[in-house]
Amino acid sequence: MSVEHKIPEREKQQGEWTPKIVGFCCNWCSYAGADLAGTSRFQYPSNLRIIRVPCSGRVNPHMVIRAFQKGADGVLVAGCHPGDCHYATGNYYARRRMLVFKRLLEYVGIEPERFQARWISGSEGQKFAENAIKLSEEIKALGPNRKLRDVR
Amino acid sequence: MMNKMTDKAKEVARELLEKQEVDLVIGWERGTFEDKTAPLFMKKPEDVERLVINEYIVNSLATYMLHYKTHGGKIAIFVKGCDSRGIVRLIQDKQFTREKVYLIGVPCSGMKEVNENDEMVDSPKCDGCTHPNPVIYDVIIGEEVQPKNPENRFKVLEDDLNKVVEERWSSWASEYNKCIRCYACQRICPACNCRECIFVDQSQEWIERRVDETENGTYSLIRAYHIAGRCVECGECERSCPVGLPIMKLNKRIAKDIEDLFGPYEAGVDIEQNSPLGDFKYDDPEEFM
Amino acid sequence: MKSINKQKLADVLTQWSKGYAVMAPVDEGSAASFKKWEEGKEVQLDKNSTIPAKNIFFPQTEELYDYKAGKDSLELAEAIPIKDEMIVFGIRPCDLMSLEILDDLFLTRGYIDTYYKAKRDNAVIVSYLCGEPCRTCFCESMGIDYQKAEGADITMCFDGENFGFIAQTEKGENLLKEIDLLTEERDVKLSEKQELKLKADTEGLAEKLALMFEHPYWDSAYEKCIGCGACTYLCPTCHCFDINSHNRACGTGFKTRCWDSCMFPDYTLMAGGHNPRPTRKERFRNRFLHKLQQFPERYGKTACVGCGRCISKCPVNVDIVAIISQLKEVDINDQQGMDRVG
Repeated sequence: MSVEHKIPEREKQQGEWTPKIVGFCCNWCSYAGADLAGTSRFQYPSNLRIIRVPCSGRVNPHMVIRAFQKGADGVLVAGCHPGDCHYATGNYYARRRMLVFKRLLEYVGIEPERFQARWISGSEGQKFAENAIKLSEEIKALGPNRKLRDVR
Repeated sequence: MMNKMTDKAKEVARELLEKQEVDLVIGWERGTFEDKTAPLFMKKPEDVERLVINEYIVNSLATYMLHYKTHGGKIAIFVKGCDSRGIVRLIQDKQFTREKVYLIGVPCSGMKEVNENDEMVDSPKCDGCTHPNPVIYDVIIGEEVQPKNPENRFKVLEDDLNKVVEERWSSWASEYNKCIRCYACQRICPACNCRECIFVDQSQEWIERRVDETENGTYSLIRAYHIAGRCVECGECERSCPVGLPIMKLNKRIAKDIEDLFGPYEAGVDIEQNSPLGDFKYDDPEEFM
Repeated sequence: MKSINKQKLADVLTQWSKGYAVMAPVDEGSAASFKKWEEGKEVQLDKNSTIPAKNIFFPQTEELYDYKAGKDSLELAEAIPIKDEMIVFGIRPCDLMSLEILDDLFLTRGYIDTYYKAKRDNAVIVSYLCGEPCRTCFCESMGIDYQKAEGADITMCFDGENFGFIAQTEKGENLLKEIDLLTEERDVKLSEKQELKLKADTEGLAEKLALMFEHPYWDSAYEKCIGCGACTYLCPTCHCFDINSHNRACGTGFKTRCWDSCMFPDYTLMAGGHNPRPTRKERFRNRFLHKLQQFPERYGKTACVGCGRCISKCPVNVDIVAIISQLKEVDINDQQGMDRVG
């Protein structure tokens, strides 16, 4: 049963649609990696909007759903490589959490490409940019997300 | 067998109250009809006469312990297999100590209830039960029984196996359009024991009171996720739902994923075992990283 | 009377749908709720709907108005409560009586709820007279004859094969004229009335309850209630609501109202943090005093139509019929703290 979403006027006026992707990046590794991508001038699309969190273990799955509610077409959670977490064990919990949550989202019918998780370290600026480009292309191919989006 | 258990239950409850070992015994009594029971709170030995043990005691009494957290004395509570797992879950979540509760175990051969078409059927929640006998107890009032069909534990997931993404969404969203957000599922669940539930506390605005596809979907997904790894699969949520939502599908899906990813696990069985999402191993699977 | 065979029901609804929004109890699998009927949807008439008919006139979530705030300006745009004239099809005498109770509440005593009124004024009621009551029905105790529907424009009965329609008002007659070509003349008889299993006697109850606010009965009656909102949401006469504003970008937003339940812990939570009904005991007592004492005192009617939804759906079998009989039996002089009387 489809619901009539009242999409705000300004979105309709935008012209060609580009995806909005929210990235939860951990402060110590992936945010630093994003920073490095910037200073090294690796280009990546500006539709990845970054939210800095202290650790990927801080990311609550409810935040991911809220991102989809507020209009995100895709969500990325990026953290330190296992073993390198600044808080020692945060990303181990995040790994378990994101695996279970990703399967739950797929079960209810959210396309698997829309929610992704990556390990990106502070020195991997190029990897960050590559992942951002790839994610943007995958989500562009899927189209705008209306599932779990606020009706108004 | 049921009559013998009722007599034994009354005997045990009466003795506990007469000797003042506990000041409250929670059990079941006959409800509106012969085939319905309601929770019974016995404080005096005479109250025990109303106690029944039969195939209609489908209510889990575990959740009431949350309302007696600050109660001074010891409380006795009747528990079937699934209820006892709920109690273990509450103890593991540190809601109260093991010493606060005296558990009277009731081996359960499966519950019956009257369905929407006024037919007497086996309770849907009992299909696939893996622990019909209480997993912890201080005294047990009957003989232990064998689980009837434990291989059906994840049967409810079978019809969704081959659905493609769009089918999954349309069937799931259309089901949850029926949700009226009464929060019965959250209130009756022993794993849902936050002092202030984020869905109730409106000041935080995690979720609005509006009822529509998105808000209902968010509520159900997040509640399922919050109890992930802690759900004892008692089925009380689905039984309480006034509009018959398939809530257990989400809970069973998560339980199966946890088993597939992190090894066999059943919540609320071993009081020493940590919940899988509160734990980790260095060599956990890493499928999509 | 005008009659159709049950096979033709969809045709009748299709014909009516051409000029009206037909609101019927749509079968959604495990529950039925009054929604706009469309071709292909199943209508559930053999049992009462799960969600009561109040949902048509007082929807669970309803937009009130949009706002746009600028630096020195404020624009408001009221939502249009109703677009088409409605036919309320298949409403039972109990739910119909609940509309009369809601009318007292929303349309009298000085303030008229325009959203409710707009829908109520633009609806033609086709009431379904009950053939076989459920075991949880006790409408007769609340003064309802389940085979009569005085407030309806058309009454409808079903004998297993054929539906029969009788118009009771001019609106009803005009509506029947629209399906004239589909109907035949036939007498359709309802099954004989059966005795309802549940009976409640509310004689003198409101007066007795006025003295029972501090009675020890409430100290134990509430214990099994888990504090969900199922009874209030499924009750055809419950009417509490909350108003919320939803801010969106650039100073715009909209206000909605939605059902609220007195059984929720934050129902009476005040801005300073004080809550006069902090535990389930106060909330439980409030629910029954409101229905059985306060509403009768104010409006002269018990706020219960005996539909039995709360009894059949309460997860812990809190039973209003049992409570009424217990309240009638308690000794009113068995009171502690009588000097604190309210």
